[in-house]
Amino acid sequence: MTGFLCLTTGHAQQPLRWGADPSGGAPYVYNDPNHPDQYIGYEKEMADALAAAMGRRPEFVPSDWETLVSALQRGSFDIIINGLEPTADRLKQIQFSKPYYIFQLALTVRNSEQQIHSLADCRNRTVGTLGNTAASRLLEKEGVPFKGYADPVAAYRDLELKRIDAVLMDVPAEVFYVGKSKTLKRAGEPFFRGTYNIGLRKGDDALKAEVDAGIDKIIRDGTLEQILRKWSLWNDAQTELQTQMRSGQTVNPTNELTSSSFNWRGALWRLARAAVVTVLVAFGSMIIAVILGMPLAMGQSKGPRWLQWLCTIYIEFFRGTPVLVQLLFLYFGLPTIGLAMPGWLTALVGLGLNYAAYESQVYRAALEAIPRGQWEASYLLGMNPLLAFRRIILPQAFRIALPPMTNDFVSLFKDTSVAYAISVWELATAYRELANASGQFLLLGVAVSVFYLAMSLPMAHLARRLERRLQRREAIEAVEAEIV
Amino acid sequence: MIRVENLIKQANGTRILRGVSFAVAPQTVLGVIGASGSGKTTLLRCLNGLERINGGAIEFGEIRLDANLSAHEYSRRVKQLRRKVGTVFQHLYLFPHLTVLGNIIEAPVHVLHVPRRKAEGEALELLESVGLKDKARRYPESLSGGEQQRVAIARALAMHPALLMFDEPTSALDPRRSAGLRSLLRGFVERGHTMVVVSHSIGFLEGLADNLLYMEGGEVVEYGETEKILNSPGDPRTKDFVQQAQ
Repeated sequence: MTGFLCLTTGHAQQPLRWGADPSGGAPYVYNDPNHPDQYIGYEKEMADALAAAMGRRPEFVPSDWETLVSALQRGSFDIIINGLEPTADRLKQIQFSKPYYIFQLALTVRNSEQQIHSLADCRNRTVGTLGNTAASRLLEKEGVPFKGYADPVAAYRDLELKRIDAVLMDVPAEVFYVGKSKTLKRAGEPFFRGTYNIGLRKGDDALKAEVDAGIDKIIRDGTLEQILRKWSLWNDAQTELQTQMRSGQTVNPTNELTSSSFNWRGALWRLARAAVVTVLVAFGSMIIAVILGMPLAMGQSKGPRWLQWLCTIYIEFFRGTPVLVQLLFLYFGLPTIGLAMPGWLTALVGLGLNYAAYESQVYRAALEAIPRGQWEASYLLGMNPLLAFRRIILPQAFRIALPPMTNDFVSLFKDTSVAYAISVWELATAYRELANASGQFLLLGVAVSVFYLAMSLPMAHLARRLERRLQRREAIEAVEAEIV
Repeated sequence: MIRVENLIKQANGTRILRGVSFAVAPQTVLGVIGASGSGKTTLLRCLNGLERINGGAIEFGEIRLDANLSAHEYSRRVKQLRRKVGTVFQHLYLFPHLTVLGNIIEAPVHVLHVPRRKAEGEALELLESVGLKDKARRYPESLSGGEQQRVAIARALAMHPALLMFDEPTSALDPRRSAGLRSLLRGFVERGHTMVVVSHSIGFLEGLADNLLYMEGGEVVEYGETEKILNSPGDPRTKDFVQQAQ
């Protein structure tokens, strides 16, 4: 008896390191709003109960949803408890414990929505969901246009802002967010079944046996049921699961969809689509930057004092704060004053406004490099300031500005990757999501780099040629004149 | 043709021109001489409206500029004045992104709205008159300093100015080219042009200018026929300057 006690105490020193993403992670595991330094959630409580059943000390390692699997493999923690489904592609990389929860999917719409009652009504709508989940794969399979989010809060907020038409989410998150919402409602009944299992490294078989025994224990003694009831997550599906598990049956999820495997062809197609978005955002924002930069430059150097101030404030604001923060502000901040733009447009406008500040400085330097005498000579020939600017000053300034503008455009092109922060499906987002779904960080990384280079290299080349042509034109014509 | 009365210009509290008066008759050349800092260039910039005058008046035919005009009216009159006055700067300020021909037709086409064809024809005639017809398609950069200067002259003449003004036209020319320029300008005068030539080189103005205006410290020291001023200056300061120059 004493020996047994000693053994348990000795064991209790050994931590059970579990990883999950607490940001936007309610009700799984998230920061307690009343005590921001503490974590709460039904899976947090379950992890604690499980650790107790295993005679270990629970240790939570906050991580990131998209990179949970690779973090587990790297050894940042020993198990994943984060509503993780045992998909085929994940099974290639890690192994799973017994299931502990049967999840269903629930469709959410705005209260005012009359037309959407099931997924079948969403064929021509956009549905938001979490990236790389059973829900996103179901939407992909059903051919419903969807948008992947990093956390449920953002998806439900975009639904409220009418950026999307519906949200498909696992029931636990749906119960938590929609249950107390006044503006959103459930459309139809929950459907689809899948399981949440605990993820473990391949080869950690002793730990897996220990975890499985722990799950059995908290099911048999009713601890898990208690936790789920407390979080309003107890339902018929859980009764079924627990009855089966108590009687020793193996449980397979009824729907095979969660085991969709990674499809290279589909991935390349999605990368190509992401490349198109990247190009559109880059060109769109450069046009804004090139056009808006001019009045900024003129206002700052030639305008009345108040305008000079305004332009300077604009320029210093956009140059002095990170473009990521600006995008987040435009995307999440502006809707509070009633201005909600879709993600791609936000990225386009945001990057455009940001780069306009940089272009204005390029223009200003170029304009200041033109001697005053060029203006005076134009005036003395009877030109008004506008004509002088358009015909005499601008063409000369353009030549000076071209090389730095080219540089800016290439870096703008790469900066479109910050749009992943606001869930725009561009190349960086595509890389992150596809690589996380497949584990093919290296190959997809190469593919994405090729896409970027295939677009930025020709651009740099083109600009260099244009530059050279502008510089050489005189020389060439001079030579031609000599020959004639 | 042009009459200047008691012209005053000040900048940053100092008077650069202190009551300058003179007149230029049609088909004559006025030479303005003086050491650097005497106010010659500022005088020129007042005559073409690049500087606003602070006192006195400039009369050019019916156009009258004086210090009492409102800013709006002043600039309206300056625009009228510029249609009649052509200027060749010391640093020329040719348009580097345009060909020689492009430099010359730019203002006729875009300001006077002369058809491009016609403007080009006139420009080629002008280039011929300054001896540069074969350089019409070249860019200014590829021309010598003297050639560039003649392009600038053709550019000014393309607007058919009644008065042509030069600022230090010989500063970048060797003596042989100076002589060439002088005979070119004399040719224009014989064909009816009127000129104001600012220069510190008495040698260049001798035989070109009908009248001379000697300036020092923003004031007219002496003003009269070239011959008289060069041979028997009335003021000792003029005498000193002429002797040093020769």
